Amino acid sequence: MKDFFRNTWKHRAHVVMALPVFLVLFFIMYVPMTGLIMAFKKFDFKLGLYGSPWNGLENFKILMASKATFIQMTENTLLYYVIFTALGTLLNVVLAIAIDQCVFKKCAKTMQTLMIIPVFISYAAVQFIVYAFISTDTGILNKTFGMTTRFYSTASVWPILLTIVKIWKDTGYGSVLYMSVLAGIDSELYEAADIDGANKWQSIWHITLPSLVPMVTVMLLLSVGSVMKSDTGLFYQVTRNSGILYEKTQVIDSYILNAIFKNSNFGFTAATSLFQSVVGLLLMLFANGMVRKIEPENALF
Amino acid sequence: MAKKDMDLAPSRREKKGLGQFILLFCLFLYTLFAFVPVLLTFIAAFTDEKYIAKNGFTLFPKEWSMNGVNAVLRYGNRLLTSYGITIFVTVFGTFAGLLIMSMFAYSISRPDFRLSKFLSIYVLIPMLFNGGQLSGYIVFTSMYHLKDSLWLLILPLMVSTMNVIILRTYIANSIPGELMEAAKIDGAGEYRTFFQITLPLLKPSLAAVGFMMATAYWNDWQNALLYITTDTKKPLQLLLINIQKSIEFLLNNSNVPASAKAAMGGTIPQYSSTMATVIIVIGPIMVAYPFFQKYFVKGLTVGSVKG
Repeated sequence: MKDFFRNTWKHRAHVVMALPVFLVLFFIMYVPMTGLIMAFKKFDFKLGLYGSPWNGLENFKILMASKATFIQMTENTLLYYVIFTALGTLLNVVLAIAIDQCVFKKCAKTMQTLMIIPVFISYAAVQFIVYAFISTDTGILNKTFGMTTRFYSTASVWPILLTIVKIWKDTGYGSVLYMSVLAGIDSELYEAADIDGANKWQSIWHITLPSLVPMVTVMLLLSVGSVMKSDTGLFYQVTRNSGILYEKTQVIDSYILNAIFKNSNFGFTAATSLFQSVVGLLLMLFANGMVRKIEPENALF
Repeated sequence: MAKKDMDLAPSRREKKGLGQFILLFCLFLYTLFAFVPVLLTFIAAFTDEKYIAKNGFTLFPKEWSMNGVNAVLRYGNRLLTSYGITIFVTVFGTFAGLLIMSMFAYSISRPDFRLSKFLSIYVLIPMLFNGGQLSGYIVFTSMYHLKDSLWLLILPLMVSTMNVIILRTYIANSIPGELMEAAKIDGAGEYRTFFQITLPLLKPSLAAVGFMMATAYWNDWQNALLYITTDTKKPLQLLLINIQKSIEFLLNNSNVPASAKAAMGGTIPQYSSTMATVIIVIGPIMVAYPFFQKYFVKGLTVGSVKG
């Protein structure tokens, strides 16, 4: 123990350097963690977080009483997570390999630059772009195909629409990460495969894909911890927060955002929030454990 | 696709068979998919308003006009103020965040610093477990009383576990520890070693992380929507959201008297002017991004927190 203090004193400059991040995290991340006790309180703005009276499991009873809403938004959250992650990973990998295989390097580079642009457009702006495509009277889709679909009140098309928007926005940038792995593959491996008579597909299958496995594993692991979280902007902005669409577009995060704005249902929301955080933690621990078993050097902790 | 080639001479990078052209064409199609919506925004901003109302949005309008852009410029002061807020928040947040995160990353990567184990775990925990939006909102507003403060646009995006890990990995993998040792032997103090040796060598990683942070700040609409109420503190993204809300209001309230609409004059946001606003909001990032692209791969490698 004395050693420890002596060591810390010796490194006091490092302690000072670490302090700002320590404090920011403390006030921005750690103190709000205590806010989760709201799930067991009857929250009153005037009394504040710690002053509000406890009400035991009352909030969870409310949650059970209106479990249809809860189940629906949890289902949506999970469904979109699965679609986005599965399709997203697949397309990221395919795109990375395609760009890597392309011999017209200059062309590929320029195209890649254009493909990445959407990731830098905020959802507040994306929703106007989406509007240009799907608005009822002036949208490109309706005009081109002579339809009069009212997209903003037709819930059933939104899973597809949101998937397209998500793919459009994230795939270009998502592939950069995998390309960095591909750039690191020793080209002698490909030459050796060539000499052994392997064709393009065979060398992709036996050399390129296996080398991507560790990175895919890490990225999937990172995403598992945020299963319960969604790209809020996608569900809140792009749908224009249209109530008619909630059945297919309401996810936990957008529900909580709405609850904050409406200043209502804090009990229900707090219970949901606790559920979201705890499930996130469990999934993260589980995923890290799995990765540590399969690829120890890629585990986060 | 490519036929078997037993010759030693041509390496895989040089063959230009039919397959390569098909591949190039597929990539080109995807590029169109990604870029056409962006292009459409630019075209719509310069399309005649009535033409859009009649024929819908199109990539090939027959009537062009500067009216949309002019209408946006009529926002004048509001737009300028929002620009100022967004730039201030982005620049201050990014630089302050980079500085404190790289100091932290440097500290926890010092060998023989016993506290670094604890600090590594401390920085990791928020990635595993957090209070969520509602708790954050309650704590920031009812406990810190920061509602309507620019601090709530800056602080929540300033430190992220991922960025600390990226910087830490870069220090561990790309900056030789001997350099720091040598500086110390030459009599440089801890701070001097960090600022004069480590920080300059960290540049590629700082560029990549900094650009990602800057985009996050620039594009952040959620904190602004949650916390900012005063007009003079509204960043660009909130301005965009307000425009959309006022369009919806005008559309959904047929009983807004015509005289009121007329009184709003040129500020009634419509198709082309809205798209012009979108361009003004996303433009700076489009311009800056190609300069940072080369750092994306080199500077963003992720490693384990423990190293």
